[in-house]
Amino acid sequence: MSAIEALYIFDEHNSLLFNHVYTGRPPPPSTLLPLYLQQASPRRSVTYITSTSPPTTIFSVIQDNLLFLSPTPHDTEPLLVLEFLHRFADALEEFLGSPLLATKITANYDIVAQVAAEMADSGVVCQGEANALRDVVETGPGVLNNLLGKVGLPGGSPGIQPVGGSGLARPLAQSQTSQGSAIPWRRSNVRHTSNELYVDIVETLSVTLAPSGRPLSAFAHGSIAFTSKVSGVPDLLLSLSTGGKGAGMGTRGDQLRTVMERAVFHPCVRLNTWKKEGVLSFVPPDGRFALCGYETDLLGPDIALTINKPSSSNLSLPVNIEITTGLGSSGTEFEVRAKQDSSSRSAAAASLQSNLGSGRGGFRGGAPTGDSKSPALDDLTIHIPIPPNVRNVSEMRPTKGEAHWNPAEGTVEWKIPPKDFGPGGAVLRCTVQGILSDEDADMGVTNGMTATTYDYDDDAPGTYQSEKTASSTVATNGTSSRKADKNKDLMPTSATLSFGMKGWLASGLKVESLLVDTKKSRGLGAEIRPYKGVKYLTVSRQGVEIRC
Amino acid sequence: MESIRWDLPLTQLKARDLTLEAAKDVGPRKSTRPLPAAQIKKMLDSRNERDVLDGLRRVVAMQYANPPQPTLTFFPAVLKTLSNPYPSTRPLVYNYLIHHAEADPDTALLSINTIQKSLSDSNPRVRAMALKTMSGIRVPVISQIVSLAIKKGVSDLSPLVRKAAALACVKCVRLDPTTRPQVEDYIEALLADKQYYVAGAAVQAFMEVCPDRLDMIHPVYRRLCKMVVDMDEWGQLALMKLLTVYSRKCFPRRTKRVKRAATQEQRAKDFYEDLEPGQETKADYEEVEFIDPDLDLFLKSVQPLLSSRNSAVIVAVTRAYLYLSPTNYLHHAIGPLIALLRAPHDIKQVALCNIVQVCLIQPAHFTSYFRHFLIHSTEGPNVWRLKLEILTLIFPYSGKEVQDLILAELEHFSKGHDAQLVRESVRAIGRCAQSSSSTTSRRCLSLLLKQIHSADSNLVGEAMEVIRHLIQRSPDEHRKTVIRLAKNLDSLTSATARASIVWLVGEFAGYDTDNNIAADVLRILVKGYADESDEVRAQIVLLGAKVYLHHLNAKNAKRKALDALNSGQSPQQNSSTVLSPSGEEEEGGFGEDAFAQSGPQPEEEQEKQHIIDLLYQHVMLLARYTPSYDLRDRARLFRSLLAIESSTELASLLLLAPKPVPQAPSPSEARKDLTLGSASLVIGEGPLRGYEAIPDWVEEGREPDPKLRDDGGREEYVAGGNKSVNAAAGARLDEALASDPGYRPEASGAPRKEKTLDAWLDEEEESEETESEDEEEETDDEEEESEYETDSEEDERAGLVK
Repeated sequence: MSAIEALYIFDEHNSLLFNHVYTGRPPPPSTLLPLYLQQASPRRSVTYITSTSPPTTIFSVIQDNLLFLSPTPHDTEPLLVLEFLHRFADALEEFLGSPLLATKITANYDIVAQVAAEMADSGVVCQGEANALRDVVETGPGVLNNLLGKVGLPGGSPGIQPVGGSGLARPLAQSQTSQGSAIPWRRSNVRHTSNELYVDIVETLSVTLAPSGRPLSAFAHGSIAFTSKVSGVPDLLLSLSTGGKGAGMGTRGDQLRTVMERAVFHPCVRLNTWKKEGVLSFVPPDGRFALCGYETDLLGPDIALTINKPSSSNLSLPVNIEITTGLGSSGTEFEVRAKQDSSSRSAAAASLQSNLGSGRGGFRGGAPTGDSKSPALDDLTIHIPIPPNVRNVSEMRPTKGEAHWNPAEGTVEWKIPPKDFGPGGAVLRCTVQGILSDEDADMGVTNGMTATTYDYDDDAPGTYQSEKTASSTVATNGTSSRKADKNKDLMPTSATLSFGMKGWLASGLKVESLLVDTKKSRGLGAEIRPYKGVKYLTVSRQGVEIRC
Repeated sequence: MESIRWDLPLTQLKARDLTLEAAKDVGPRKSTRPLPAAQIKKMLDSRNERDVLDGLRRVVAMQYANPPQPTLTFFPAVLKTLSNPYPSTRPLVYNYLIHHAEADPDTALLSINTIQKSLSDSNPRVRAMALKTMSGIRVPVISQIVSLAIKKGVSDLSPLVRKAAALACVKCVRLDPTTRPQVEDYIEALLADKQYYVAGAAVQAFMEVCPDRLDMIHPVYRRLCKMVVDMDEWGQLALMKLLTVYSRKCFPRRTKRVKRAATQEQRAKDFYEDLEPGQETKADYEEVEFIDPDLDLFLKSVQPLLSSRNSAVIVAVTRAYLYLSPTNYLHHAIGPLIALLRAPHDIKQVALCNIVQVCLIQPAHFTSYFRHFLIHSTEGPNVWRLKLEILTLIFPYSGKEVQDLILAELEHFSKGHDAQLVRESVRAIGRCAQSSSSTTSRRCLSLLLKQIHSADSNLVGEAMEVIRHLIQRSPDEHRKTVIRLAKNLDSLTSATARASIVWLVGEFAGYDTDNNIAADVLRILVKGYADESDEVRAQIVLLGAKVYLHHLNAKNAKRKALDALNSGQSPQQNSSTVLSPSGEEEEGGFGEDAFAQSGPQPEEEQEKQHIIDLLYQHVMLLARYTPSYDLRDRARLFRSLLAIESSTELASLLLLAPKPVPQAPSPSEARKDLTLGSASLVIGEGPLRGYEAIPDWVEEGREPDPKLRDDGGREEYVAGGNKSVNAAAGARLDEALASDPGYRPEASGAPRKEKTLDAWLDEEEESEETESEDEEEETDDEEEESEYETDSEEDERAGLVK
């Protein structure tokens, strides 16, 4: 049994927006929601509730502040249901526009209901392609058309035969609108007066730095978002290049694969061509979609772990941070330094000249900053989680920007406006206060292991030796150091860095060319040359973490 | 390189856009405020398409509004609009109908006629929608009509209608279970459909209606395998679930012990590229899995799905590999599994559960991905708990550097501020220690020993607990550790940790009798008895009892030996000599401490006994005046147990019983048997309702005849009425050739091989693997195929097209 029983949508105030029962007799949303909310705050996406009869498993997804719930009494594949919920949210976005708002749903119940009914036929999931749904879902005359980007009205102009590219090997002899599109992910009869193609490559950083500054792990999770607004059935060829990485390692495809590891693709991508030639050949769905996801190990494939120097040589982040704790006379202060990494930036910029965007027009919006020649840094924020036993962060002295302490979340948030953030960097110094009673009362019984000497020498690795010396210095320093020892508990153990950088990709990937294969494409006039745009963006959402 | 079009009047376009948007806003859906029911009815009765549509929208909006408004009164009015010729109103009417049919079946039945008419509409979309709606009406009376409609739909020319028919099967059986036999026939016909999305839907219906009728699968097995790549994700999921079960039930597991040959080693290398070298060179003989060519076909054809963007598909492929051929295929799935960690948070949690499950079975595959399992400070407990577990699971299989890194990682988190995280990471260190070699184990131990000096009592208590477990696992190696721990009693404040140490000292009181620190530890502890917590006091009393018991035992043994000596039996002398000489050698180990007077002990035994006796009595006195009644009670028990010096058997039984070695299994070990990808696995509270375990391999000889899988393919090619749209031309050519009696290759290797290559080249989707790989496999198949030599020609053909 892998049927979806029901689908409930709640808004951010937990009031019910939409309630669609597919099959069976699922518990109503009014009983499920309180049971779901009972769990402690980082809620799991799969919850088992025994207080209903029969016991129910609730699957939940939160997208755009809306909560999607689906109950089931049976053992189903959790990922199937979660993927379905995501697809449903995506489909709604496709029809109602992004971001998804509660008001949009309440104003368009007829569309939402049709989408829900089309995607799962009485609980059996049968359609996941939002684009193809447009053929089926009746949106009414004139409605949403410009949302969908077809400014020219949908006319059933005949003579266009949406035929899959030869690589798909499924030519349809007769394909009318009524028959459905020959390509399951593309709606039929696409018409655009302006033909546009956009490639947005977004990489999200996930980096962990050891206290020494040496990177422990560094990944860039990339995704290629593609926007296609082209009439007919275009057959596209997207070539990427590595920007010099992995040179001399076999064919171009091999090089590319060392940068784009563990890639996943939209079903439209022909895997054969990717495997053989390292280019992405596909017939895109209409509109915006995620073409590809990949990850890059920024440390390189085989970094030797033994390298001890705190090098960020293979890893070049636009901003470096350091954190020092236990400063001040009683060790109640800590300091965070942020520094711009100028050398890597220029290098990165140089390697990222886009062939495609040879001209200002290459970048959508044409913003003055943020193209690949002068990457622009913004939203620079540093979060420092403060341990729960800190009573107050009494003093925060940033040299630039603003810092404030949020006791509820237990973090110090330090925002640096990018234009203030010069090459000199910025420093934040904070003083923390622990719980009052601790301060004096416990001082006598501190658990200092000061008087002990260690003679446990079954094996004495270096770390162990250093511990010995450290503790002996503690012994000599007396009370003040004991205080510092005590205050060690109040020190943060990590800091995370968030930023966004337009026009720069951590992996060094770049778009080399985007071609419309005119031979394979159908319904696209020979003289029509679509407008093309490329955008690069690297973001870190608390993704760069330094430990101390 | 094409130039970018600049001539497009962008600004103009925008202006037009805006006008349209404005027009839309004024348009049909401007007013959302509720209208009186009478007015809506009027709109529904209108002849204007726009009015009708607007009325229907309002009705649907009322139906879904929160709180829902009564819309049943509109039923007749809504149904009447079915007679309108506008196609645009249909979906909304159908939606309304399905929603309300159950509440008012009589009115709903009025619509059946109109819908039946639509079933023979010229537009396939209208037909499909009508079929879908009709089967969705939950009025059991119409089940036979629905069944007939499905029958008609099954033979429809349009694949859209056939797909709708497949999905309608599920609804029909739900409506009226007695229609099941008919519906099974329909599904059987649909399973053989050539259109991949019809077949996909048919498999979904099969899984819902009759998942046990595997006999329906035999004839279509090979075709389904080939179609899996083209199906939509939901069809793929259903099919993989089905074929995983099917394979277990139809392909017996054949293994053969083969002596390693040079060529085989070469092949093994290709297979195990990312494995540790230690894994392959287990012995000269190795178990070679014989994979049935049909099973291999399935496993190969799902391999391209590992690039799917759907996480459920990736887990489903992994499940097939894990349960069908872990040695030959599983490693392909590891990378894609890791890629699931990039997914949104909700999917990531579930994916991690599944990764842990695979990791429990094949940890070695994951060693190169350890970086992915480092914990971020922003992650919730659901995630880091699983990540810690994976790190400990791969720990014994990693190289030295990685082990160092993992230990450093665990050490870092054991010093964190989150009490839960601290506890889990300390336990993780313990698990690392117990699963690895003695040197690393000792490193872990020294790491833990460092932790007990921490000021955080929570951490100290947890670390001590883990240390105690480690020591209990191999007591002989850890005598010195106990001595070292005992020294910490001077300074340690955490009550749990102190209690743990005292207990350990008591456990070790029996070792190395003449040179034991237990008595001295007891002496020191007794001094501070008044300041200890009850937990520690209880352990002190226990320690006192144990020390005294050992003392009595030794005394009794000695007396016996003396008795025996006196009576002239010399062999017993050994036991008495054992006791005395070891005294001097270990003396230095703990000499510098406050136990200076332990020196004279060995010399004057009489004196020493006296000290222990006195100590014991003192402890008992202390216990007697302890406020805790529990403790007083326990003391009384010990006192009466040890009252008679000469009979200590019962006391020994109680106090010195060998303790079972504590096991700290990986937290997910309990769910190891649950099926990968199931909800039961993620929730971890045992099998849920409807949980399906993967069946065991069918026994050799009891499997269905492999010939069953041969027939269907050809038959369907003939039977299928309409043009086959997705079969590759080359495959069809092969088909024609094979069925031609004049063309029958005489079972010689060469021509066959050529032909298969052709087939591969023609079938775009099949040839995902590189050519060389195929070549290699081909030689395999050749061997295999000799078994089937005598089979019918179709069998050969099927083997070839693979």
